[in-house]
Amino acid sequence: MGAAGHGRQAKDRDRMGHESVTQKAVVARGISKKYRSFLGKPATVLSGIDLDVESGEIFGLLGPNGSGKTTLISIFSTLIYPESGSLSILGLDGRRERGEIRKVINISTAKPNFPWSLTVAENLRHYGMLYGLYGRGLSQVVDDQIAAFELGDYRDMRFENLSTGLKQRLSIAKAMINHPRLLFLDEPTTGLDPDMSKKTRDLIQRIHREDNISVVLSTHYMPEAEMLCDRIAFLRKGRIVALDTPRNLKRQLALGERLTVTYQGPADIAALQRMPGVLGVKAAAGRVEIVLDRGDDGAGDGGALGRGNGRADGLDGIIKLFSQARILDLTIKEPDLEDVFIELAR
Amino acid sequence: MNWQGELNKYLASAYKNWITSKRNIFTVFELFFWPMISLLSIGLLTRFLKVDASMVSFLLVGAIALTILQVAQIDVAYVLLFDMWSKSIKNTFISPVRSYHLVFGAALFGIVRGSVVFGILAGVSHYLFGFDFQEGGLVPVLIFLGGVFAMAAVIGIAVCISILTFGQKADVAAWSLSGLILLVSGIYYPVEVLPPLLQAAARLLPLTYFLEYYRSIFIPGQHHLATGVFLAAFYLLLGLLLLEYAIERARKTGILLRLSE
Repeated sequence: MGAAGHGRQAKDRDRMGHESVTQKAVVARGISKKYRSFLGKPATVLSGIDLDVESGEIFGLLGPNGSGKTTLISIFSTLIYPESGSLSILGLDGRRERGEIRKVINISTAKPNFPWSLTVAENLRHYGMLYGLYGRGLSQVVDDQIAAFELGDYRDMRFENLSTGLKQRLSIAKAMINHPRLLFLDEPTTGLDPDMSKKTRDLIQRIHREDNISVVLSTHYMPEAEMLCDRIAFLRKGRIVALDTPRNLKRQLALGERLTVTYQGPADIAALQRMPGVLGVKAAAGRVEIVLDRGDDGAGDGGALGRGNGRADGLDGIIKLFSQARILDLTIKEPDLEDVFIELAR
Repeated sequence: MNWQGELNKYLASAYKNWITSKRNIFTVFELFFWPMISLLSIGLLTRFLKVDASMVSFLLVGAIALTILQVAQIDVAYVLLFDMWSKSIKNTFISPVRSYHLVFGAALFGIVRGSVVFGILAGVSHYLFGFDFQEGGLVPVLIFLGGVFAMAAVIGIAVCISILTFGQKADVAAWSLSGLILLVSGIYYPVEVLPPLLQAAARLLPLTYFLEYYRSIFIPGQHHLATGVFLAAFYLLLGLLLLEYAIERARKTGILLRLSE
């Protein structure tokens, strides 16, 4: 197991120890939500959502547009109320203690928006004031967030002039202004370029690691969920259709990288099926599709191919099985949300 | 939470309105251009009609009242209008603030801006038209301003309620309500000239009573200030309760989410 794998295990131990003395971050039972228009029929957005988010966990909500992710996060954050069901946030009753809940949570929304003409520092100050911060404490928190999220160069830049990436960074900085115990991140990397997406993911990991807060995030992006989340719930048409760790979901659904080899000549397909990290093999004449478990950050822990040298060794082993054949074509495709839903729909 | 933290929850809205206003060129129009146009139009009209000093006071009190009412009410409405226009309303209502924090903070800024406008208009009208706003002393001025600002807060709250109930298109209420007040509450004429139905409506508006009170300094006559004070307090309380209900309803209907998209 690699260093990162050890890190995750250590985090689990910490979390488990923590759980014995703290409440679950979210306990939702039978949450349903309909939107009613003036004359039209009510549209059901969420149906019977049952969900527990453990304290200290990064929990992912995945689903296509319209699956109910934003609505569910908005209900968890008490911005809107469900039609039915019960909700407990950090041990506080979601119906009777909403004011208390709002003090200990915060949210960074998809497509972040703030008052246009306020600068980065002014926006943080304004929201700090709404959370009841004052005096030197408020100034300190504003300075801390600007430093922590590397916004110093843009401190006096108005929100309307910030790039999409900076707006997203400001949004997460705002979400940390009250040092929440539970942070909601709604599609935190939507609209960002790959470099900024990676920086944002690193930022989320850092916040979670350093401040030991629970995080519920929604995303369209499967690798992002895999990288960040301890567990994932897949939403479709307002219902949870799968819930588990990324690893177990991929195993259950036999999802992974799809390596397609087109070849001429003999190849040991049976040996392929026995190789560690190979989740499935679909063979046809001169063509084989191999589903690989890339595993976590480690190099091939417990049968996964892993990354880095472990992954290279695994791929090397597969290619060697074609040593007697002539490889005509070879492609690798990452599993994406579409693959997951195709599998879940079967 | 201690009192300083609680105070800052109120001041947050005033802070946002202050920063937004000082960077908005239209603030100049709101504070100086339109008020001066209104005052000069009415003042010059009194010269053209050759009305006596008491009638000049009557009309200028109306012009000044309407102007500071519009300035102060829009500041209260801005607390949600700015959020709605910038689609950031979600961030406000995710925080642990209540309706009264938002309204009183914004009203505070509206009172400051309204007082500045009052000072300018009172000075100009004294210089150009001989209107002495302190003829009855400072207390009547403060009572009059208090009544106008209370009415402005009520109108601003009504605009906020309409935004939370009807969504994006409701901002038209921000510009329309003070026009209705102009018609009904006797800004430029005594309410007795109104048709009976509108007279009855005028008697439900606190501004009617505060205008009568302040005008009684210049044109001796009856006034019912206590009724005005009662109505202002009643509408403020009712407005805050209805705003709190509108926020809860907006959370149930999901309009808070739609206003942020």
